[in-house]
Amino acid sequence: MAEGKTIVVKIKRQASPTEPARWEEFSVRWRPNMNVIACLIDIAENPVTRYGKPTTPVSYEANCLEEVCGACAVVINGRSRQACSALVDHLDQPIRIEPMSSFPIVRDLVVDRSKMFEDAKRLRCWVPIDGTYDIGPGPRIAPERQQVAYALSRCIFCGNCLEVCPKVNEHSDFVGAALINQVRLFNMHPTGAMHAHERLQAVRGIGGIQECDNAQNCVKACPKGIPLTESNNDVNRQALLDAIFGWMFR
Amino acid sequence: MPAKAAATAEVTPEATTVPAAVPSRSYIWDKLHSLSGIVPIGAFLAEHFWSNSYALVSIDRYNQASYDLQTIPWRVPVEALLIWLPILYHGFYGVYIWSKGESNLSRYGYGANWMYALQRWTGLIAFVFIGWHVYVERFMTQGRSTYFDVATTMANPLYLSFYVIGILAVSFHFGNGLWQFANKWGLVVGRDAQRKAAWITGAIGVLFAVVGLLIIFGFVFQWRPFQFYAQ
Repeated sequence: MAEGKTIVVKIKRQASPTEPARWEEFSVRWRPNMNVIACLIDIAENPVTRYGKPTTPVSYEANCLEEVCGACAVVINGRSRQACSALVDHLDQPIRIEPMSSFPIVRDLVVDRSKMFEDAKRLRCWVPIDGTYDIGPGPRIAPERQQVAYALSRCIFCGNCLEVCPKVNEHSDFVGAALINQVRLFNMHPTGAMHAHERLQAVRGIGGIQECDNAQNCVKACPKGIPLTESNNDVNRQALLDAIFGWMFR
Repeated sequence: MPAKAAATAEVTPEATTVPAAVPSRSYIWDKLHSLSGIVPIGAFLAEHFWSNSYALVSIDRYNQASYDLQTIPWRVPVEALLIWLPILYHGFYGVYIWSKGESNLSRYGYGANWMYALQRWTGLIAFVFIGWHVYVERFMTQGRSTYFDVATTMANPLYLSFYVIGILAVSFHFGNGLWQFANKWGLVVGRDAQRKAAWITGAIGVLFAVVGLLIIFGFVFQWRPFQFYAQ
């Protein structure tokens, strides 16, 4: 490849939630196997636009750089994905980078994803192991079940499934596929199942599973390949049986 | 990062208490919406296509079938409870569900996303078509619609094309709605099961479209493939 080859990166920037958004173009020197994070690092080193105007470094979130932490989800060329696994050589230029629009903006490419954490608390997405005394080891889980649960447990709360969902927007409170998958995961766990009814009750609440209309973009966007639509249908079945028959047997 | 810093600062005993589940009535209304599309609306749709297929036998048999339906006991309450109310509920609640979604086909043009967008549009078309259809064939005829009334409407090319569009929209909406129902009620879970359900419900949708178009064909071209029954 020719030395001195450059790539053009267009970034949607916003200094704070109250300030207007604007686009800035940067020119970055091409290197082999570059990913989008590498472009952002280069821009931070030399925050000057393509037209020579000095500017502030672009704020972004990134951590593991190997698609396991979920921090760097942004919209690249119109598609929501992890910036670390977005290789420059596979992208059309200019590369357009925007923050995810389903979450409140903090600055530039940084958004506030605490909605997912709040929903996880509301849906009791954990296994209760803490007590005032040692409650001992939990029951054993069959390997087949472990395999299914492992696939579900790989969720990194990146938010891509919420970003691509037509039902996650300002008109709807939908919790999103990631959270419904968590309900399935923790209801599958023998100890977590002790709180299954509480989770199912919460998942029928505001913004619950009923908001899903099966556009199924979530499963395409998931960087971890989690079978989100399966989880959704499984939780649909659990929530419905709990709603119809739950009151009879309590 | 500012967001991370703020999140760390919030982890205090007060912040980690479990928030109560927020109760919502929308679960039951949404489930009712998907159920009403199958029973009674889908069931009536099947009955409606069945009865109108008498147009493929003879005019007399068609008029007889119409008359039999028009003279059932408790006609108006049955119509109101099994047809009008469910369709009004399904239609208006459907528009409300539409208002909560924002189609993003231009960015994510996947198959299921197309079906989601088409389900919204065909639902709207079907609602308008059914409203017009009920007005013309039920209320303008004082509830005594005959073969002649329907054939007269279809003689107008504008109305005829509305019928074709309406039947295609209704058939798609019902077929895809069956698939939605299978998902929303957890009748299918795995990806293979979802795919098989898509084939089955898709075939049902195609069947409805074909039968509906054949009935129109019968009206427009006086095509009576089952006429020999009546002779």
